[in-house]
Amino acid sequence: MWNAAAELSVFEAVLHFFTYAVMAVFAENIVFTHGLGVSQLFRLVETRDIRTLHHCLPVLLVQLLSAPLVWMARVWLTPWLRNELPDFLPIAALRPVVYLSCATIAMAVVWVLFHLFGRHAVPYLEQLPLATYNCCVLGTILICVNQNFNLLETVAFSLGSGIGYLFAVLVVDEGRRRLRSKDVPGIFTGMPISLIYIGILALAIYGLVGHSISN
Amino acid sequence: MPNNEKNKPRKAAKPSKPVKRRASEGPQTLIIPQISPEMLESARRAASEGKSAQEIEQAALEADARRKAEQAAQQPPEPRPAEQPAAPKSEKRHRKTRDEAEEELSQRVHDDHLWLNNPLIMRGLGLAPVVVAAYDLKNAWMLCVAAILLLTTTRLLAVAICHLTGNRFRPVIYVYSAAILYIPAYCLLYYWFGADLTLLGIYLPLLAVEPVIIKRMENPDLETLGEAFRRGINNTVGFCIAVLLVGVLREFLGQGSFFGNAVLSQAPLPLAGEPAGGFILLGVIAALWTGVANAYVRYKEEEVQHIYVERRR
Repeated sequence: MWNAAAELSVFEAVLHFFTYAVMAVFAENIVFTHGLGVSQLFRLVETRDIRTLHHCLPVLLVQLLSAPLVWMARVWLTPWLRNELPDFLPIAALRPVVYLSCATIAMAVVWVLFHLFGRHAVPYLEQLPLATYNCCVLGTILICVNQNFNLLETVAFSLGSGIGYLFAVLVVDEGRRRLRSKDVPGIFTGMPISLIYIGILALAIYGLVGHSISN
Repeated sequence: MPNNEKNKPRKAAKPSKPVKRRASEGPQTLIIPQISPEMLESARRAASEGKSAQEIEQAALEADARRKAEQAAQQPPEPRPAEQPAAPKSEKRHRKTRDEAEEELSQRVHDDHLWLNNPLIMRGLGLAPVVVAAYDLKNAWMLCVAAILLLTTTRLLAVAICHLTGNRFRPVIYVYSAAILYIPAYCLLYYWFGADLTLLGIYLPLLAVEPVIIKRMENPDLETLGEAFRRGINNTVGFCIAVLLVGVLREFLGQGSFFGNAVLSQAPLPLAGEPAGGFILLGVIAALWTGVANAYVRYKEEEVQHIYVERRR
């Protein structure tokens, strides 16, 4: 996989990277297309004391740093494990443990990086464990693994997915602010109207690009 | 006269007050701590008989011992531990204040994970697999079984480990508990459903980080194993009811069938099978559910208010 990417010219590689990143932000948005991280998104939107960036920047960094680890685990560790495991234990049973370990290692690196910034990074450090174990992090990893992305594609998709999550939070936050209108019936206020709003946004994205990656 | 005589020593019967002895050789002070009227009377009688200080003190102590023995004989026997259930009777008689009744009602609403505080419909936990993967009853049933295997066991294991670690590293403990319990759960699910499990795609391993399973990691209060078991079971039942309901509706609307058997010749709403339709349908279900739940809670609140208004009259 790496050799194939290395053969591309620099321009083609950058274009390829950019294409996958943009696809992850819009066409394959982790929230609107895959419905991942919605519970955390609601918590972020509802809770005023957590700023969007305090949660989304750790998500983005953990996804970005775990991408190469995930690729290595898929290419090297998983085939080795498949041969070593007993017959009754399928390798699919170990997927959460293996890929969560990649995310945890990435979390440790991000934790060290944030510590370099001193007390300014405290809000980010508080959100780091919740961000790491957000559905959208493991979801992105599993999509990359299922689609057999190469290293470049994995990193690009992870980066785009993190940006896409930030984009989704901002869009839902703005939508929620506008949906506090009195015209919205009482039983729809809160989570129900937000779910319908996300559904309509997802429909808009379907209308724009259709389905390209199946689960 | 006897009353007057009794009153006199009572005046002198304050604790630690000296008892004066008027003997022929002159006054002598005898200190008896914590003196009672009986002790004083006995001491006076002994003094009038011309006894020595030690004999007076002895007589006073004997009088005190007699008094204590009589008191012990008159007192009813102490309640045995087996008779302790009598306490709730008195609690039952105790009338709750309005604040207490309202607090109890809100606690009941909070604890009701089946209807009034359903984890999926009311709190929005575990949305991803339901919105995307539970597009028919078969998938919903597989998700339901996975939740039964993972939810309560994860909570119990994580709480037990948190008790050992002093409630530190909660997020890591909860997530790895779920991931480790996923291994036997997956083996069981594979044994029961076979290759159909692939229909759930990424949403089955994703259960290891689903908020409906690991949401508790955000709460710094460490619950007991009993509480974890009770709440885990409640959440499991509530989640399963909601998943199956959504699965039935989405299959009927999206495919016009029920558990794979065609009911209608044409699907009434094919969009319901898509994730976007799942969001919209879940939003509508959540709105209706919220409406009914809120109406019930309001009714109960008004009931409490009526009870206390009538009591005040």
